[in-house]
Amino acid sequence: MWQRETFKKIKQIPREEHVLPGTSLCAGCGGLESLRLAAKVLGDDVVYVNAAGCFTMLATYPFTPFKGSWLYTTMASAPAGAQGVRDALDVLIAKGRLPRNENLKVVVLGGDGSTYDMALSSTSGAIYRGLDFYYFCYDNEAYGNTGMQLSAATPYGARTSTSPCSLQHPSASMQDKKDIFEIWRAHKPPYIATVAPRYPLDLEEKFARAVKFTGPKLFLALSACPTGWLYDPGETPEVAKLAVETGLWPLKEAINGAVIHTYIPKRKPVEDYLRLQGRFRHLFEPTRQDEAIRHIQERVDTYWKLVSG
Amino acid sequence: MNQTNQMMMTGNLAAAWGARLAEADYIPAFPITPQTEIVEALAKWCESGAMAARFVTMDSEHSMMTAAGAAAATGARVFTATSSQGLLYAIEVLYSISGWRAPLVLVNVSRALAAPITLEPDHNDVLAARDSGFLQIHAETCQEVLDSILMAYRIAEDERVMLPVIVNLDGFYLSFTREPVILPAPEQVAQFLPPFRPAHLGFKASAPHALGVAVLGGTPYSYFRHQMHLAAMNALDVHSETAAEFERLFGRRYDVVEGYRLDDAEDVLVMSNAFASRGKVAVDAARAEGRRVGLLRLRMIRPWPADAIRDALRSRRAVAVLDQNLAPGQGGILFQEVAACLYGEALRPRTLCSFIGGLGGKNLSEGEFRTIFEQTAEAGVRETGIGPVLLYTEAEHREMKQLQMLAGELGS
Amino acid sequence: MIAVRFHGRGGQGAKTASRILGTAAFLEGFVAQDSPIYGAERRGAPVAAYTRIAREPIRERGLIVHPDLVVVADASLIPDPAARVLEGIDERTVVFINSQMTSEQVHAQSFLPGRLTTLDLTDIALQQFGKRGAISALLGAVAGRFVGLRQESIREAIAQELADLGLSASVIEQNQDVALQCYDAVSTVSVVAGAPQPVGPAKLQTPIYEPPSRGTARISAAANSVLRETGGWRTFRPVLLPDKCNGCWLCFGYCPDGVISMSKDDKPVIDYDHCKGCQICVHECPTDALVAEREKEGGVAWTAR
Repeated sequence: MWQRETFKKIKQIPREEHVLPGTSLCAGCGGLESLRLAAKVLGDDVVYVNAAGCFTMLATYPFTPFKGSWLYTTMASAPAGAQGVRDALDVLIAKGRLPRNENLKVVVLGGDGSTYDMALSSTSGAIYRGLDFYYFCYDNEAYGNTGMQLSAATPYGARTSTSPCSLQHPSASMQDKKDIFEIWRAHKPPYIATVAPRYPLDLEEKFARAVKFTGPKLFLALSACPTGWLYDPGETPEVAKLAVETGLWPLKEAINGAVIHTYIPKRKPVEDYLRLQGRFRHLFEPTRQDEAIRHIQERVDTYWKLVSG
Repeated sequence: MNQTNQMMMTGNLAAAWGARLAEADYIPAFPITPQTEIVEALAKWCESGAMAARFVTMDSEHSMMTAAGAAAATGARVFTATSSQGLLYAIEVLYSISGWRAPLVLVNVSRALAAPITLEPDHNDVLAARDSGFLQIHAETCQEVLDSILMAYRIAEDERVMLPVIVNLDGFYLSFTREPVILPAPEQVAQFLPPFRPAHLGFKASAPHALGVAVLGGTPYSYFRHQMHLAAMNALDVHSETAAEFERLFGRRYDVVEGYRLDDAEDVLVMSNAFASRGKVAVDAARAEGRRVGLLRLRMIRPWPADAIRDALRSRRAVAVLDQNLAPGQGGILFQEVAACLYGEALRPRTLCSFIGGLGGKNLSEGEFRTIFEQTAEAGVRETGIGPVLLYTEAEHREMKQLQMLAGELGS
Repeated sequence: MIAVRFHGRGGQGAKTASRILGTAAFLEGFVAQDSPIYGAERRGAPVAAYTRIAREPIRERGLIVHPDLVVVADASLIPDPAARVLEGIDERTVVFINSQMTSEQVHAQSFLPGRLTTLDLTDIALQQFGKRGAISALLGAVAGRFVGLRQESIREAIAQELADLGLSASVIEQNQDVALQCYDAVSTVSVVAGAPQPVGPAKLQTPIYEPPSRGTARISAAANSVLRETGGWRTFRPVLLPDKCNGCWLCFGYCPDGVISMSKDDKPVIDYDHCKGCQICVHECPTDALVAEREKEGGVAWTAR
């Protein structure tokens, strides 16, 4: 049974903010919520290496919300940017040109579009090389910054602007979400975790645990997205909660490849989650897409059957 | 090494020595022919301790350039190298690095671009990066490769410039060609090249900053992009200071352009890179026959040394530009730039001729140079320019026809 | 030519409103042109959209610097320098503001020189649709009324544009009905095409070289985003009923923008300058100690900033 060691009570969440307000991210952004909580553990001695995506808009000239540093790279190569920063810091410290107390944590910020597809090569390379860095993927299951187009993280049955539903494709997107967690795990990094904004203590605990590991520390953050998933911004925690409670978004970690589920949901029907969001509305009206809903439920059931072994 | 500190070395090894003598801190690498030998040499030296640099093999040129730029943005002196397809794969990142104003040196070993894929050089690869904000120095000899890398770091890291530099050398004709190269003494290099301590770069806990942040709207974008232009233009003066200092310390002089037998030349051939050596031989041969010809080698392509080009070409009868590249639907890339900078010159040459040669490393023969001089002289007399003229001989044409026959034809 | 400029926040429907107006004019036989301008897709960020309507082919493009009609979907944009709502407005410009205030109240509180008229579209939308949402059809209909377009063409344009967005037939029909209510309800001021204004040559100032610490997109002022206030994004504000608060910290834990801090006695303190009004805290408060109140315009947002 997994237990939190550092963060046992909500009042242990540090009061200090490290990602300040005034950004132009959408009201109710689940990704920003996860980042804000993560930053409370990471602190300010950080350089964020950003891939093109919604988080590009965090720092727009002349404003930055960070007390730490930021480097905007490209959509495909933020982990390679992290490699350059990390290596340069190490070299400069080793050569005595940078005092040790000036050292920084290197944190990649990438959306799912970057993470699941375009930056996969550079991510794979960085993990393979054992790069000591954090990877924070805010997964809102579509290309959000361009207005919600299908990505490899888009789940089966979700409507996006490039996976419309039609008579031929009544369930909209036809592919199941790529399992990036397992792709990462195949690289055998020391630490991987999934997190969700409705579970702040689980999130804080995982970042706190990751600190102990040298090497790639990878986080997949469910980024419930009112703008793209079509629900009211105030419902972000509720949507994130149902993603977890239905079993669609397992909260887990993998330490040196060994997977532990950090929360075992009672597994509400997936329908409870789907019904909250406009992107799945076509599964229920005008006619109910039983087969699609069953497919989604079966995928979840199969997953948890394997978990409980 | 002989007594004058000379060694037989390839252009690739000379490039590696440039990085070694500049005491680069960081070398992200990715193999590609004909550049690979550079990173092989550097990997060996980093491993043996001959160089105090970290060498990392990346997963692609795109990643390699990102790591290179990010490391420079963190305050390390960075060297890397690529060729051809690799340069194009990374080209998005070149724009990022120059936008960060992160100085580093990238060696490009020129190789023609696919499709069809080939291994031998022309300059469409490096010229595809001409608007990226990287400065460009094109070398003619192995010695110049090494020397230009040292100069490139000094120019790039100057506060008035702070832009990355590409040093270009031709695949095969320089990369794999050995010739004697004088190795500068490390103490002298240290004197020539001050330590890299940029004011605006260097991530550290005590000085957080955001770099390369998004701008919304054209007003800040125009401003920053124009600053890169001003920085690049500053590099002309910085180059001339650097050249003077280099000459003082090492006794070799490099200017943004090199004139060869220009004094009384009525017709001038303009070209760049390794084949310029051959061009000089051709000038000598033509001179021996009484033709008053000379050669202008373009060494710095970015910033574009318009004044130096105008000074060299003013009042000539005819000027021929030999482009070892081809912009389909337009012609020679350097021809356009030479023509544009001469237009405002009152005593501009009456006649401009455009020649395209050496594509995909195709040989530029003595006979082809003779043809260039003859056609240019005739055009000068007529006062009518010609081109683009593809340098392609009858024998080559026959050979090509045979290859096509073997490849089979539709319906045959 | 009539030049109409729409201002709104991402998600409010300014772009679609400009298209509804353009389509309606097109259906009536005019030459029309519409175009939006925005940064990245972002709910809440300032957006502008332009519609030009003429009898002759239109050769202008892009920004409308001297609008004949300005339609403001969100009054909080007026003091926001990034939105540039006031640009090019003079005495003859007709300005429509979606606001609870009367045009006299707006006049008294702002320095808008144009001929003002207001209608509380947000309230109409809340009552008729029962929730916050895009008011594109309403804005488009009001603009159509000002420039003298007919009801039928606006009804048809709404159908075309909302269908294009994938809205269902019933939602479209509801939008048409509410939009035409607004069409009737708004007090109109006639829009007249402005005479071409004489323009002198632009005075150029070529920037000189600066060290790259200033000459590149670099920010050394840490966490200065707080200088940019996002409080104007709200339609509703979360308000604390202190007696009901049990000090549980959940609102603090869930706030994406970090605008809730906890006082010494464990009560949430909300930074209204930055709260975007997402209502997460209201939704998640286990004791209903946080409630949503409709933003009142005027006062802080409007006076001298």
